[in-house]
Amino acid sequence: MKHLTTKPVLWDRVAYLGRLAASHGCGALVTFVGIVRGDWQGSRQVRALFYDAYAEMAERQVERLVAEARAQWSLEMATVQHRLGLVEAGGISVIVVVAAQHRAEAYAASQFLIDRIKQEVPIWKRQQYDDGTAQWTMGIQEVLAVAEPSGAVHAHV
Amino acid sequence: MNVRVRFFAWLRDATGTEECWISLAPGATGRDAKALLVSRYQRLSGFLDRVRLALNQEYQTWEVPLHDGDELALIPPVSGG
Repeated sequence: MKHLTTKPVLWDRVAYLGRLAASHGCGALVTFVGIVRGDWQGSRQVRALFYDAYAEMAERQVERLVAEARAQWSLEMATVQHRLGLVEAGGISVIVVVAAQHRAEAYAASQFLIDRIKQEVPIWKRQQYDDGTAQWTMGIQEVLAVAEPSGAVHAHV
Repeated sequence: MNVRVRFFAWLRDATGTEECWISLAPGATGRDAKALLVSRYQRLSGFLDRVRLALNQEYQTWEVPLHDGDELALIPPVSGG
């Protein structure tokens, strides 16, 4: 998988891509790093997020978005890495690294990529709480859970 | 004709499976597949309003015609990032 990975995305990776961009003579590097928040929800706290994806489609879609960004702006580098599987609070869930000659293009392309990834790419997150419960995001599943007293929706912790 | 259907995220929990095959009459559309799936997995009833259809890994409308061997996926609202 090119844009999706089940392995941890390390801060070293961000630094490596930055050095690479600099060595190619880029004048502007914009790095977006998505980090898992340990939010509180009532009495329980998010300890991790679990990411699921329709991997084949997600890869194709990210590839297309990168191509769209490259067609729209003059970019020296455009790299996306999105985690799948379990990411602990404080861990990196996604990086979008864009390098260009000038900052306007780099900012615009970075915003475009992360916005479209969040809107379109078939990836889903499940919140894993410190009390052992888990819940898919969005709220639809909350209704589903209520409708099914067995709690099967929460079964996969 | 037979089409493969894949489920993700909470739809996988709701159906209890990652995928299934369904048989449809020639000329069937995504909407026909959706109706058949709701009858097979009754827990889906009422929860597919915001779910999108992907056909062979591309978003499509529910009116898209299906063909033998197609891969369908029900795509709940995404939440990557």
